[in-house]
Amino acid sequence: MQKRNPLFRAQSITGNWRFPKAQRRFTSTSSTHASPSISRTILLLTGASIASGFAGFAWATRQKAIVSLAKPEYGSPQDFQKAIVELKNSFPDKDTVSTDPEDVYAHGFSVNDYHPGFAHSVVVYPSSTEDVVKIVKIANKYHMPIVAYSGATSLEGQFRGHSAGGICVDMALMSEILAINEADSDMARIDLDHSMKYFVMFQTLKASLCFSPQIDPAPTATLGGMISNGCSGTNAVRYGTSKGEWFLNVTVVLPSGEVIKTRRRSRKSSAGFDTTKLFIGAEGTLGIITEVTIRLAPVLPTTVAVVHFPDVRKACEAVKDVMNKGVGIQCVEILDDLFMQAIKNFRPTGRDYPQKDTLFFKLQGYSEASLEESAKVVQEVAEKHGGFGFQLAKDDKDAEEIWDDRKSAHYAGLALIPGCRSLATDVCVPVSRLPDLIYETQQDLKQSGLVAPMVGHVGDGNFHAQLLVTNDADLEIAKQVSARLVHRAIAMDGTCTGEHGVGLGKKKYLVEELGEGTVELMKLVKRTLDPLGLFNPGKLYPDENDSK
Amino acid sequence: MSLFHRCLLQPPRNPQPLPSGASSRPRFVAFTQYSPWSREFPFSWRTRALLQSAVYAIGIVLATNYVDSAWFPKGSGYGSSRDVKIAIEKLKLTFPDTEDGEERVSTHPDVLHEHGSSENSYHPASAHSVVVRAQSTEDVVTIVKIASECKIPVVVYSGATSLEGHFSGASPGSICIDMSEMDKILEIHEADSDLICQAGARWEDINDTLEEKGIPLFFPLDPGPGATIGGMIGTGCSGTNAVRYGTAKAEWFLNLTVVLPNGEVIKTRRRARKSSAGFDTTKLFIGAEGTLGIVTEATLRLAPVLPTRIAMAQFKNVEQAVNAVQDVLNSPYGGNIQCVELLDDDMIHAINVAGFTLKPLPVHDTLFFKIQGDQAAIKLAAKTIAKIVKAHGSTGKFEFSETEEEAKNLWSNRKYALTSTMGAHPGTRCWTTDVCVPVSKLPELVYGTKTDLAEAGLRSTIVGHVGDGNFHALILFSPDDPEEFEKVKEAVHRLVHRALSLDGTCTGEHGIGVGKKEYLAEELGEGTVELMRSIKKAVDPMGLMNPGKLYPDPPTK
Repeated sequence: MQKRNPLFRAQSITGNWRFPKAQRRFTSTSSTHASPSISRTILLLTGASIASGFAGFAWATRQKAIVSLAKPEYGSPQDFQKAIVELKNSFPDKDTVSTDPEDVYAHGFSVNDYHPGFAHSVVVYPSSTEDVVKIVKIANKYHMPIVAYSGATSLEGQFRGHSAGGICVDMALMSEILAINEADSDMARIDLDHSMKYFVMFQTLKASLCFSPQIDPAPTATLGGMISNGCSGTNAVRYGTSKGEWFLNVTVVLPSGEVIKTRRRSRKSSAGFDTTKLFIGAEGTLGIITEVTIRLAPVLPTTVAVVHFPDVRKACEAVKDVMNKGVGIQCVEILDDLFMQAIKNFRPTGRDYPQKDTLFFKLQGYSEASLEESAKVVQEVAEKHGGFGFQLAKDDKDAEEIWDDRKSAHYAGLALIPGCRSLATDVCVPVSRLPDLIYETQQDLKQSGLVAPMVGHVGDGNFHAQLLVTNDADLEIAKQVSARLVHRAIAMDGTCTGEHGVGLGKKKYLVEELGEGTVELMKLVKRTLDPLGLFNPGKLYPDENDSK
Repeated sequence: MSLFHRCLLQPPRNPQPLPSGASSRPRFVAFTQYSPWSREFPFSWRTRALLQSAVYAIGIVLATNYVDSAWFPKGSGYGSSRDVKIAIEKLKLTFPDTEDGEERVSTHPDVLHEHGSSENSYHPASAHSVVVRAQSTEDVVTIVKIASECKIPVVVYSGATSLEGHFSGASPGSICIDMSEMDKILEIHEADSDLICQAGARWEDINDTLEEKGIPLFFPLDPGPGATIGGMIGTGCSGTNAVRYGTAKAEWFLNLTVVLPNGEVIKTRRRARKSSAGFDTTKLFIGAEGTLGIVTEATLRLAPVLPTRIAMAQFKNVEQAVNAVQDVLNSPYGGNIQCVELLDDDMIHAINVAGFTLKPLPVHDTLFFKIQGDQAAIKLAAKTIAKIVKAHGSTGKFEFSETEEEAKNLWSNRKYALTSTMGAHPGTRCWTTDVCVPVSKLPELVYGTKTDLAEAGLRSTIVGHVGDGNFHALILFSPDDPEEFEKVKEAVHRLVHRALSLDGTCTGEHGIGVGKKEYLAEELGEGTVELMRSIKKAVDPMGLMNPGKLYPDPPTK
């Protein structure tokens, strides 16, 4: 169509031009001047056609440029003001739309990370999928960025505001469990980036003898956030991550405002590529998740065991051996000697652990007898690899106490240096490379002079170094250490992020990790779904200059 | 009078009165005076000029339109038959015959036919124009580039075990890439429990190789025998092990190397077991049926091999059996169940008649359990299963195989199910269905289906992966009875709708291909299908990758 428009225009231009000419011809009585006039007409016609052809070409090319991800065009501050008025009109309840500076600020920043950021322009609290659709439509109308917010436990700035301002969609009100189908071991729930806190869910489910296993990221994380982040946690070694099959389907509000449900409720389906997976790990850049059906697993009896090792390598080898025995391991965590010291300081009344690299096992089984059997296997394998001081929890209370030692690691670490903050790293490599990675990182840390205890989901090859910083100089050093760590992990065929996501913090590593082609494919999908670039802009996808 | 006057603007209206005959003309002829070319045009010369130029403008637009559509036909967007010939010549030049005289590019009619149609599916199929055997990712890139230069569709072929016409040719002519020579295992990382192989490798060969090398690991996806890794990814397969290990859509494929439609090669991820680095593009190609790119290499995660034993229980009806399965899976031993398979009474009868197995079984609806774990766990699990099935009214003896030999014999009943069905009904062919529903809905579905098939007078056997809510009805028909074939088609159609109304899917593990396209919009909703289509369009704008499969034709408006 664009091709033809200019042509049409060329016609009317020449037509107009011809009137005075024609009039002159009429007033003249002679016909001898006809031919120069015609050739001039033809010349002008041709010229105009070519000119408008170029104009049309330029116009068509410019259309494409707008769609590029590099420079989305957002509305002006005046547009945003109009959008806020329209939001307030659409949601008459005055608590639903908030522009209170404190509220707006709190939704854009996190004490857990150090990324630069901006506050949102407005925070909206939808209570249904329809509400989210309304918000998305208003965002579309005024070209306003839109960022979903829920548990706010993320570490990579996933819910930062955009420099242009934008709408923050707080999913707090969408925390209802809609249906639990015990016979099918699944349940549907609303959440949004999300809502119901995980531990609440955990308890609810315990009552019905089920729990949702892959989902044990940080406490208070919500389902929407967990999906968007592609999270995992300590249970991943047994149950895999959110990129596995724990989310049967999601209901998503697309950037166009359309609502889709990605799949039905059967446990498996070969009906084409699974669009559910498109939204897992997309960090809210492709759509806003409003409902989820999650698959559940039976709750099994568990117990906890601790064993110490002279070094990380021996511990990792023991883990590899144990895993291949096929005994029931739900979690296996490594804490380095520094962390063990920190825990001792932090919980002085607790157990007296030797300050050595230590493995915490959570064993699962169908009975006390089988747990004991598993524990025996673990102990044998550990001792074969130089493990010592094996302790098995005597009862449930004991188990809980030992596991609490593991869980308190984060705060124990922070207590090592009073008044410090921490910068968490999150690399993951093939499990056989983990000892090398930890060893090299420890060397690097020693040279940098930072205090940095380490904890690892060693069964998956994922570990976190908690880089403790007290001032800006330290923070600068910590950032450099973290960057070197990422490069080291990628060189070992690993990833810059095992479970925290990309957000603002890791996008500069994405091309190095995945390659230009894969990143370009991701951007292509993003452009296709969100041509205006409104959904959580600035996150996940590397900037153009990162890729060069 | 100038040429200009004559052809563009007629002389001004004759000021003299109209000839007297004018008034006697019929009324409609009087309208001709309003033609801007008419001598009696009643308005000013400006109006005349304007109207004339408008007509010319419209004429020019129409002419341009016509020329445009004649020179750049929108039709299929694919190359003409001449382009197909050019593509074949280019391929032959690029891939000369091997030294021992074997063709790498074949246009032999038998080869073309064999690569484009399947004995196992009954969908309309057409042959390819040419078959090329690829030996490396670079070969695939070259072929894709030639195909996009000539605008010829590309279809990948490897195990050819698919049932929904996934690899049939495209109508204007297509290039078929045969991956059978890309079947190497490239690296095995025992310490990381993963393995890198080419897309043409068969899953059975991979597991055999691991066993031969004494590596106590295996790849747990087990679709039909002969399936290759590339095909398993394309279909989003699963199998009997899915109840314990999940499907191809889980985390068994750590990364893929893919040739995109533009000829670019990408590796979707690295080798770490988990990564939160954005949405996982690996998953885009799992289940995409070769419509978004061609998978040439994959990194597979492996699981430890555990000892297994088999147990068998029989029931009066399917409902009892399925309910027992739910209790078993939600018991503390759920994690020890590697497979649960349901064979209905018709199937057991067929197995007895076909006689591939050692001893005949009582003809009842039967469950086979594959239990994994150490000896103690297996025994305890078997005891618990025995208790649960009894509570659900199992009939006869609960069979448990103590030794490996016994286990193999008992499992052979399940293994020979398909061949027994054919063996017990010689001269028939069979249509395999593949619906899947939430497990609690399975009894309703199986019961409804059996009744429906009986009413339609069709013979069938049923085998189900009941732990996942997935089952296959093998509906038999005689090849020379078109009426019966029609009945089968209708019954399958009703079965799919029954599954969809129970919140299920039209395909649990066989994929969409040509056969299930019509159900996709009903199952997923127009919005989700449109999302899939728009991704397809973005990744493959020329639509060259396996056209006509997976995506339903857009609704006609």
